[in-house]
Amino acid sequence: MKNLFLTIGIAASSMLVLAGCTKDPLDQLNEEESRIYITNRDDSANFSSYTTFSVADSVAVISNGKLEKKSLTDVDKGFINAVKVQLQAKGYTMVSKDAKPDLGINISRIYNTYSGVVSYPDYWGGYYGVWDPFYWGYPGYGYGWGGYYGVYSIKEGALSIDALDLKNAEKDDKIKGIWNGLIRGSGIFNAGAADSQIKALFDQSAYFKRS
Amino acid sequence: MKKISIIASMIAGAFIITLAPAKSQAQQGVTKLNIGYNVASPLGSFKDEVGKTSFRGWTASVLYGVTDKISVGLGTGYQDFYEKHPRSTYKLVEGGDVSAVVSNSIQVVPILATGQYNFIPNGVVQPYAGVGVGGNIVFYRQFLGEFSNSKTKFGFAVRPEAGVYIPFGKNSRTGITVNANYNYMPFDYNGVKQLSNWGGGVGVKFPIE
Repeated sequence: MKNLFLTIGIAASSMLVLAGCTKDPLDQLNEEESRIYITNRDDSANFSSYTTFSVADSVAVISNGKLEKKSLTDVDKGFINAVKVQLQAKGYTMVSKDAKPDLGINISRIYNTYSGVVSYPDYWGGYYGVWDPFYWGYPGYGYGWGGYYGVYSIKEGALSIDALDLKNAEKDDKIKGIWNGLIRGSGIFNAGAADSQIKALFDQSAYFKRS
Repeated sequence: MKKISIIASMIAGAFIITLAPAKSQAQQGVTKLNIGYNVASPLGSFKDEVGKTSFRGWTASVLYGVTDKISVGLGTGYQDFYEKHPRSTYKLVEGGDVSAVVSNSIQVVPILATGQYNFIPNGVVQPYAGVGVGGNIVFYRQFLGEFSNSKTKFGFAVRPEAGVYIPFGKNSRTGITVNANYNYMPFDYNGVKQLSNWGGGVGVKFPIE
């Protein structure tokens, strides 16, 4: 009888131990640690050949591949300002979009509720419908894709920043994307988190500077 | 989950117990279940993925006494290896850079044909040595931030082991075990070449019918 109870007791406690026996990596991550920062560049772009830049005055909200709206919440302003600060620190001069800037910067918030996937080939394919080239002074131009690609799963949404070569647009007959920064993870759109996230993207892009 | 059902079926077998009084500690003809807690520490190149010792594991074996000294049967176990690396920047295969906190989470479940040799079958303290040879089920996950890539793979495992069995009393067929073991576990995925580790633990051993 004693043996029976001993066996049952051991078996029961073993089952409990087994169930709790794996460390869940997701439980060990805070919001900042959950995020990843991906940067891509067009290898043929010469970043020191540009002098001036302008950042689009609102953030595009892209939902399931389509432009939902242009937005300027406090969080959006935070991202726009952070990008301006970083580019100026890299030696570029900020001008208004009518002053023929060399670089145009578009910031987009991307949400994909049904597929949970951002496909960059699709992203650039649909870019015309979201960021009208008329905005940058090149009506009727198409967009050229920077040669980088990727298909990424997203959960809460992603932040995407595109640097566009406006300086060579007339020569190439299209606006080429030369750099892309992508932030995926949790807590991206929290107020106050913009500065450190944008800084992370530019910190890992040492090639992106005026001189 | 595969690993839970293996141990569950073994424990279920332990529910049927002989109630005959034990005349001696002779182990011939007796089938015993040994289940214990296991600590394991990665070795060699495995430490690049996970350098931290794992305190989350167990071993179990069901062994039949062929003679007083020799027993054979089946052994298994479970060990969870986990380490979170500080944020770092890596080059992506397809071009580009990614800054991420990388977490590696690897669980191993060896299933081994096992034999043991008990040096002093009637002693107060009974040292033993054994070896298990068989397969290894590996659950591999690597996280970049909260995004994971996972793979289940099957490998080979060899586990030599040495320890002592201390019966609870002179006529008892139940007791505690203390052991040290080494797990040879070759592997090949995502740059990880092996999951070999060493460790040990404490358990209980009791007869099942």
